[in-house]
Amino acid sequence: MIDLRQQDDLRDLRPRFQLIVLVVLIVFGGLIGRLCQLQVLEGDHYARRAERNFVDVVDVEAPRGRIFDVKGRPLATNRPAYTLYFTAWTRFVVDPEEGLIATTEGERTPIDDASRDSILSLLDYVDSADRADVAELVDGLRGDESRGRYAQILRRNLSWDEYARIQARISDLDPWLEIRESSRRYYPEGELTGFVSGHMGNIAREVLERSDHLSYRPGDRVGQTGVERQWENYLRGRLGARSRVVDARRHEVATPPAEAQAALPPDRDPIPGQDIHLTLDLDLQRVAHEALARKLAGAVVALDADSGRVLAMVSVPGVDPNRYEQPIPAELWREWSESPLKPFIDKTVQEHFFPGSTYKVVSALAALSDPEFDPDHTIDCAGSVVYGGRRFKDTHVHGSVDLEQAIAQSCNTYFFDLAMRSTLTLERVEPIARALGLGERSGLGLNGEVKGTIPTEEFEAREGTYQGGVRLNSAIGQGNVKVTVMQLAVLYAAIANGGYVLTPYLVDRIETNEGKLVLRTEPQRRTAVPVIDPADRERIHRGLVGVINDERGTAYSERLRNIVVAGKTGTAQVGRETERPANAAAKIVGWDTTQDHAWFAAYAPADDPSIVVVAVVEHGGTGADAAAPIVMKVVEQYLGSTSSETGTRPRGFGVPPPLPGRDEPSDAAATGPALPGQRPGARARDGKGEAR
Amino acid sequence: MRSSLDRPDDLVSRIRRSIDWVVVVMTFSVIALALVNLNSAGRGDWTGRVATQLRWVGLGTLAMFVVTAVDYKVIYRGAYAAYAFGVGLLALVPIFGVKVKNARRWLGTDDWRLQPSELMKILVVLALARYLHDSSAKGLRGLRGLMVPAAMAILPMALVVYQPDLSTGIMIGIIAVSMLAITGLTLRSMLVLLSVAVMAFALGWSYMLNYQRKRIDVWLDPELYADKEGYQTIQAMISVGNGGFFGRGVDSGTQNVLGFLPEPFTDFPFAVYAEEWGFVGGAMLLTLYLCLVLWAINIASQARDRFGALCCVGVASMFFWHVTINIGMVLQLLPVSGITLPFISAGGSNVLTTMLALGVLMSISRSRHAR
Repeated sequence: MIDLRQQDDLRDLRPRFQLIVLVVLIVFGGLIGRLCQLQVLEGDHYARRAERNFVDVVDVEAPRGRIFDVKGRPLATNRPAYTLYFTAWTRFVVDPEEGLIATTEGERTPIDDASRDSILSLLDYVDSADRADVAELVDGLRGDESRGRYAQILRRNLSWDEYARIQARISDLDPWLEIRESSRRYYPEGELTGFVSGHMGNIAREVLERSDHLSYRPGDRVGQTGVERQWENYLRGRLGARSRVVDARRHEVATPPAEAQAALPPDRDPIPGQDIHLTLDLDLQRVAHEALARKLAGAVVALDADSGRVLAMVSVPGVDPNRYEQPIPAELWREWSESPLKPFIDKTVQEHFFPGSTYKVVSALAALSDPEFDPDHTIDCAGSVVYGGRRFKDTHVHGSVDLEQAIAQSCNTYFFDLAMRSTLTLERVEPIARALGLGERSGLGLNGEVKGTIPTEEFEAREGTYQGGVRLNSAIGQGNVKVTVMQLAVLYAAIANGGYVLTPYLVDRIETNEGKLVLRTEPQRRTAVPVIDPADRERIHRGLVGVINDERGTAYSERLRNIVVAGKTGTAQVGRETERPANAAAKIVGWDTTQDHAWFAAYAPADDPSIVVVAVVEHGGTGADAAAPIVMKVVEQYLGSTSSETGTRPRGFGVPPPLPGRDEPSDAAATGPALPGQRPGARARDGKGEAR
Repeated sequence: MRSSLDRPDDLVSRIRRSIDWVVVVMTFSVIALALVNLNSAGRGDWTGRVATQLRWVGLGTLAMFVVTAVDYKVIYRGAYAAYAFGVGLLALVPIFGVKVKNARRWLGTDDWRLQPSELMKILVVLALARYLHDSSAKGLRGLRGLMVPAAMAILPMALVVYQPDLSTGIMIGIIAVSMLAITGLTLRSMLVLLSVAVMAFALGWSYMLNYQRKRIDVWLDPELYADKEGYQTIQAMISVGNGGFFGRGVDSGTQNVLGFLPEPFTDFPFAVYAEEWGFVGGAMLLTLYLCLVLWAINIASQARDRFGALCCVGVASMFFWHVTINIGMVLQLLPVSGITLPFISAGGSNVLTTMLALGVLMSISRSRHAR
């Protein structure tokens, strides 16, 4: 046992103790000094950095401007929706023992396989391609830290099922997922106004690259077609910003520390998009659509004859624009794009057709511009003519016809004769046709209009020599004459209003969210003076009245009881040209490509025209049978509601359209909210209907 | 100081006299701060880690006073046995240990587990103190005298590093070296020791695992790795700086409350503390530690013998290095390591060890000259 009391030992340790004390003091002094440096001298700097940690500024979507019809009924509005955001790289991992934990050194790691799979299993998919797309997006973000560290939109417009499923699992998947409130576009009328309103879609990469000054961001929704696209810049509004306190997962903190809340920068309110009020009348649109709905493919345009306001604009078949707010199954998409009915094409402006006999008014006007032409001279229609060794047929033998009767009875032979006698050369017709707005875009600006074609001799000679027979075909709207429905409507409006070619317009006015007027469209005539001589106009007009009101007229059977309508049928022969052995699978019942396109163009009332309606039914047969009834229904609806007290009442807001085959509810049964103070069908210009 | 003749001699007075109140007051001050801070780090949770820590503090307090009551001659006698017991426990760890996050460091169940490597720190101090006490009596002061103490330190170090727990292993080494430096090592021996250490480090650098080397890189320029390895370091600095002069107030530090600070319980609790208590609180805590260290050295200088002095120096160096390395790491003066801050870090074995060490200190304090 060693004696523990060797007290002398320690004296030589004294200097070392003093040394240690010195060292300890210096080291602690150093620590305190460093603490002072960080907290007192550089405290503000670190306080800013701490703020940068928890302050998160998120964009606030501006509510998109709404689209209303002429009476203020909505065509496009916004609805609240939930959007799922996904962050692939977080500072959290799933530990096999402890579950979800922060990474050891706070580093970011990509989401693990199991969590990825359970996230993918939370969503509903329309088909396997949809699922593959989402999986590809997730995996792309997993493989790319620079993008994956930020919350990216994984899914828009979550269904309630999806929402509930995600909420149930959010505790396990919290670091990666976040649901934010947003809004989705909603089109109450669906397919009825699909081509007018257009639809939304994700911004394309090229557009994004071109648009830096418009500050679009990847994943933004932009108008793809229709008014949504044409007026995108007005509808869009300006992004706002909202700052919030987030935690390390970058999720908003419900009850942040008061100091953190106080450090937030002020919010910037979004500027809502501007509301667009259209000239379109939903009642008329609905009538036109219902009338056309029994046909497979076709289009109707109704214009105000004096101003060029578009009153109705329908093309069938179409796609409900609401469909674009959700993923579309690839199979359905393929079906649509391969359909011979072309549901993506707005047949009012995006497709041109042979105008057929509706073009005869142009031929007639061209003939009248020839001083040597005598419109009262009659010719004898024998049912066909022979020119250049070919036989040009008429529908039947019309007998003796002058210009008016040739229009009323739609006699081809009369116009063949003019063409053969060089009254109707292409040189003479072409400038007249152009002056009437054919061969040029109408200026509506919607949905990528096509120009149509008005042939010249030069044009006809493009493939070898010019054949004189083309003149004959062109005179009756065949050959290479092609027009859009909208162009034809403008043309007939010009005849109706005394010769003014109008620029049709769909947007009546644009207002800010608070109702301040931003822009109002004024009717625009293309020329200051009429392009049609009043005497010529009168002659053609009499012919057009005869079409419906003369017993020999082609559309006499379609006349209305109390409204005098002037119009022209057209039966454009396309059957043989487009007949091809359709494959059995794509066969559509009732779609007979050997049938002709049926046209009807009309204006009414004949003595003081206010509306012009043009309808085309693809492969519908004859104009009088297929297209005229449609036009008549629209005319009846419009004039019945504006000029006749006993006529059909406009349908009140929210009242469903009658079932096919039934008439409008009678006055007694009408439960529609006939608003006090609002005359039924008054062409409301206030536009502040019940929808506001 | 009054003469012992004046002292009352009843039991209560004897107990009161035999307790070193400086140690007790400072210890429990730090413990109080530690519990409040752990509650903060746990976002206001008084039940989880705080309760666990409190249980260990209770156990530690008991151990502290039991050890205080023991005459340190008994400690002297039992030093080697305790050392052997500790090494034995360490040897059991690879066989029966509980594995958490790829490391097998604990004995016991998941709920009550003991980390023998922590306990080993104080046992190495005791054994080394005894050996150096004995050897100085025999007059061994040169390098040759280092062989045995080096072996005594290296054996548990190797076992600890094997777990793997490099930080604790190095800690044992540093404490041992500190003790050697105090006892009569000649200047020459110390220079040799220093150069050996430098060479060992240079050699070790090339054998260091990648993540360890990375830590040094990160330490040198954390902003370069701000989003990965440097995240912790930077967030800790931001926390400290965000505290400012008076601190953000308990439970109001955004860095901690919003979860930006990783490892707020074990490695970076001082960052939580500094954010909430500011420079005033930080300096106060550092001063408490400083006083404990200086008081330990003071007791050492007044100890009756070399064993007592060395034990005190060992305890002082244990405190000193823990505090310096942990806070130095938080303040980005040193690279990140797993060294804990006594009491403030959550960890039962560490609390128990620290309180045992303080018990030893108080036991020696009982018999020092100045009383």
